[in-house]
Amino acid sequence: MKRFDYFLPQSLEEALELKKKIPNSRFIAGGTDLMVQIRGGELKPSALISLRSIPDLSSIEINGSIRIGAMTTVTDLIYNPDLEHQAKLLVDAARRVGSPQIRNVATVGGNLCNCSPCADLALSLLVLEAKARIQSLSGTQDVPLQKFFESPGKSCLSPDQILTDIFIEPVSSNTKSVFLKKGRVKMDLAVASVALLLEMEGEICRKARVAAGSVAPVPLRLQKVEVLLEGQALSPELADLAQRMASESVAPISDIRGTEEYRRQIVGVYVKRGLAQILGWGLV
Amino acid sequence: MTDFRFIGKRISRPDGPDKAAGKAHYIHDLKRPGMLFGKIKFSQHAFARIKHIDTSKAERIPGVKAVITAQNTPEIRIGFLRDNFALKKEKVRQYRDEVAAVAAIDPDIAEEAVEQIRVEYEIQPGIFSPDEALQKGAPLIHENDSRGRARTDNIVPIKFHHESGDLGAGRRSAKYMVEGEYSTPLVQQSCMGTAGCIAEFDMNRNLTLWAKTQIPFLAQRDFNRALSDMGLQDKNTRVIVPTLGGAFGTGLDTHTYEYITILLAFRTGHPVKILYSREEEFAYLSPRQSSQIRILQGCDSNGKLVFRKVEVLQDNGAYTSWGATYPSVMMLPATSLYRVPNVFFDARLVYTNNTYCQAMRGYGNPELTWALESNLDELAEEAGIDSYELRRLNCNLPGETTPMGLKISTCGLKESLESVVKKIEWKKKHKKGKNRGVGMASLIHVGGGARIYKSDASGIILKLDDFGNVYVYHGGVEMGQGLHAVLTTAVAEALGVRPEKVFINPTDTGTCPWDVGTHASRGTFMAGNATLLAADKLRTKIFELATDVYPREVKKSLEKYRKKNPGYQPPEIDFKKAARLENFDIKDGYLSIKDGPAEPWLNLELGRFLRAVHFRSQGQMLTAEAFYDPPNELPDFEKGYGNISATYVYGTQGVEVEVDTETGEVKILRLTAAHEVGKVLNPEGLKGQIYGALAQGIGYALYEELKTEKGRILNPNFKDYKIPTIQEMDFPIDLDFIEIADEFGPFGAKGIAEPGLVPTAPAIANAIYDAVGVRIRDLPITPEKVLAELKKLERR
Amino acid sequence: MKKEILFSLNGIEVSVFVLGHERLIDVLRKHLSLTGTKEGCGQGECGACTVIVDGRAVNSCLYPALEISGKSVLTIEGLQGPEHRLSVLQQAFVDCGAIQCGYCTPGMILSVKALLDSNPKPTEEEIREALQGNLCRCTGYVQIITAVKQAARHLLELS
Repeated sequence: MKRFDYFLPQSLEEALELKKKIPNSRFIAGGTDLMVQIRGGELKPSALISLRSIPDLSSIEINGSIRIGAMTTVTDLIYNPDLEHQAKLLVDAARRVGSPQIRNVATVGGNLCNCSPCADLALSLLVLEAKARIQSLSGTQDVPLQKFFESPGKSCLSPDQILTDIFIEPVSSNTKSVFLKKGRVKMDLAVASVALLLEMEGEICRKARVAAGSVAPVPLRLQKVEVLLEGQALSPELADLAQRMASESVAPISDIRGTEEYRRQIVGVYVKRGLAQILGWGLV
Repeated sequence: MTDFRFIGKRISRPDGPDKAAGKAHYIHDLKRPGMLFGKIKFSQHAFARIKHIDTSKAERIPGVKAVITAQNTPEIRIGFLRDNFALKKEKVRQYRDEVAAVAAIDPDIAEEAVEQIRVEYEIQPGIFSPDEALQKGAPLIHENDSRGRARTDNIVPIKFHHESGDLGAGRRSAKYMVEGEYSTPLVQQSCMGTAGCIAEFDMNRNLTLWAKTQIPFLAQRDFNRALSDMGLQDKNTRVIVPTLGGAFGTGLDTHTYEYITILLAFRTGHPVKILYSREEEFAYLSPRQSSQIRILQGCDSNGKLVFRKVEVLQDNGAYTSWGATYPSVMMLPATSLYRVPNVFFDARLVYTNNTYCQAMRGYGNPELTWALESNLDELAEEAGIDSYELRRLNCNLPGETTPMGLKISTCGLKESLESVVKKIEWKKKHKKGKNRGVGMASLIHVGGGARIYKSDASGIILKLDDFGNVYVYHGGVEMGQGLHAVLTTAVAEALGVRPEKVFINPTDTGTCPWDVGTHASRGTFMAGNATLLAADKLRTKIFELATDVYPREVKKSLEKYRKKNPGYQPPEIDFKKAARLENFDIKDGYLSIKDGPAEPWLNLELGRFLRAVHFRSQGQMLTAEAFYDPPNELPDFEKGYGNISATYVYGTQGVEVEVDTETGEVKILRLTAAHEVGKVLNPEGLKGQIYGALAQGIGYALYEELKTEKGRILNPNFKDYKIPTIQEMDFPIDLDFIEIADEFGPFGAKGIAEPGLVPTAPAIANAIYDAVGVRIRDLPITPEKVLAELKKLERR
Repeated sequence: MKKEILFSLNGIEVSVFVLGHERLIDVLRKHLSLTGTKEGCGQGECGACTVIVDGRAVNSCLYPALEISGKSVLTIEGLQGPEHRLSVLQQAFVDCGAIQCGYCTPGMILSVKALLDSNPKPTEEEIREALQGNLCRCTGYVQIITAVKQAARHLLELS
């Protein structure tokens, strides 16, 4: 293992100062990806600046809107009793992240800042239209999550910024959601995944939010599919159309986990199945 | 059947408690005083000439004690055909070739030093498939053989061939025949404990090597030869086997990293340890060979098999290991699974610039059975016969001699087929379900050793101490499979002591008698038979001494007993008559007279007896040794004939699957495995062997594949090389052990370590066909492949 | 530069000086010679290195050593009872044939411990969920599940 220094700042300011001071330093959240990348030689930081000791970064507050500290662990999402009701999709996605050992240390912020196209939480947060709060020494700004991911491994954060919180609005009572993920084995990085949220008014879909993972350079909103569904009475025929559109509107690559063709297929099937599941059609 | 005291009973494995407590010591945990850490520089080019190696920077790093290359060390040739070198001098022939190595005071320093070694190469275009390698004018991977003779092609010069009966006549008599080509991927053994060793020389320049090996004695021979190459003629290697974190065939050969460790230890004068990381294990240790198998077989109008033609092409990689002899085992199913009169078998192994391969559990059998049992289902379909019926019709029988000359002593194939048909509800489910299907596949494997070496033997020493404890010295290797549990049970049963009184010594060539190695499902069979021989000798020694010692000692006991029980009237015993050699017995550690009166004082505790024998003038200590060589023969592999094992095992697995036709996913709903085992010795251990093998079989069927690009492994980690987790094993498994005691087996038992993974993949493939009508002939059966075939089917 | 970490290890306060790049598994195996915790992959994929930190199972191969200050760590060495007796959980693994090569066993047992401490009566599905991060190549997991169920039963009887 390459040598590096390790710092445990006690405040955001201290963390940002350290980052500024130490060239080639990196922030570390849970470290479940970062430590692997360092081991593999993909990253060779001179120092890691841990965000674990900074107070308030790992709390969940629900007060009208929902604030999730970036250092909240995936496990804490799963076991938060209120989140299960107010952002079920996020909890469902959290349950599909890695093993318990990983979930016990991996954080929401880490999952997002990794900017992996397959990030499970990113997908559900995209669909929940989350905002990311970003802090630097010069101030704070909120960014819609959709603008957060730039390319694989790269977020919109500049080196002097830290993702501190995620904000989401609680979903209305006529909203239903589903998270579907295909791995090579059950616990795996997604070969392809779909997060789907529908706000229904009787037969009519008032709002649709769809996102897919591992099918583009970044976690992807399928806005064409959303447009197709919104304002329509949802039928199996429309679901078939959504399936085709989903398959066509993604840009996957072939890699060790799956082929381009297969990923297109899965995204389409999962969009269709997601609709069926939400609308209680049974398996179509 | 004999009434057994311990055989077949639930007895916990002796190594269990230490393993549960984290107190078992693997190579990873061992340290020697002054020990250094070695690290290897791998080529990272699949085919290239080495122009120059610059080690100067590495040498200057503080803490580095030695940097070695082929330039500054003696040449050590290794490999089954001695076509490999510990360190490469002129050429690298695979991505993982060893070009240099470092010993340092710390693993981090060693790693840093390795990175500082600069190698200049002249890169050549490589060959990465057997087909390319066989093309006319293809570059030669090896220009010369180990004796310096010029080579003219890339075919590995080992022949495996069999012809029996009249293939042409067989073909003509066939009403139905099906030809198919089936392939299997490179797969990694995936031991949880990675490979490693420690080498240490003493000042007599003898070597001790703590090695992760399954063949300590053949390894000793290999290492002694290397010592000789190093100028240490007549010096010796002592191989000590620590607790192994799994082996699955990885310990059947000696490895380059072991020779490099030896070179580093000799150079530095310190003990040196090399331990592979998980990435190194995946990328630089030999996996199971990939194969392409073409099968053509046919049956007559009644479904009787009339001929079978099997051609195997294997990508051997750049060098040979014992794994190059996979076809020796492939011949078994090819010639002897079901009764087929006219058989042709031929196997070719080809050198390529891919990673060289080695043994893995099943040793060629899963590959061949994959092809054979898939093809048999295709034949059944063609002939319009139920595939179970086809199997039953052609079932092997006890007492037969197969075309390869295998003498089938006991045979449970019929029973295993019937068991599976019943438990999987074949008649109700076969050809019935929509997207659900059932499939089955059978196997034959060696169950009584496997003579692929001049000696197939196994030695044992049983040593008694003054307290009635038995120390067992046996050259077989416990790698997790439960050999020590079997040994404990067998010794306790055969000798008549309690299992708690049996102590298994660590495997050590310095203390244990010779054993050819723990492979070919032979551990139980060999250790059991050797134990029976040695225990018999030891009991005879005890009984001989007892004729004199026993009456004296029990009379003392009687006196004590009388003092405690005034008025006690002992039965009349004529000790002259009773204390005859043939009248004695030992049970639960007590020596007594068989069928004698049940007086407590007549039971002489073994420890007391042994002390009486020891602590007297001209006293003695008791040990017994035995060397068991099974009644089998070394086959002529070029002719494909010979009774390789003393006995064979058959078995059948049945599986029910559900196929998701939109995602291609295959879900196993349940699995039933019926295996003939001769006799169950240790029920929990036996179950564990089958369950574990099934998981590996399922991995082979559905998930596992080392992917390569120009000889480089693309997925050298568990992130991208998926073995089944506990989530994949989420269906009911029904095990059925068919007990037909075998005359050659210890207590009737046969070896059963490998069979559990042999027929799993074809059973699953057959079930998928039954469910959705697609036939996958290329492992692993990924959802992509299933979906692609489904789409083809749709288009038709 | 080495920094000091103070933490509770199997109920005893310990102090170790570590470098920035070192991991919890290095503290245990290298600095404290507690070799019961195994390294199987170094990537958090196999779970052989699982230990419990503040009640939760973690991969010690991914856990920066300096983060352990002030925390409470339980390793396999801390599970054993007095007078060299196995704990109920460990004994269940031995009795049920849940151990073969044993390399995954300590990590597996700690994952089970974390599960049973928070959920004394797990369903089979919950057992699978809790152990999905622990690879075993020998057993096929069947007897491991049996062992977990037996351990849960025995622990409930005792409590």
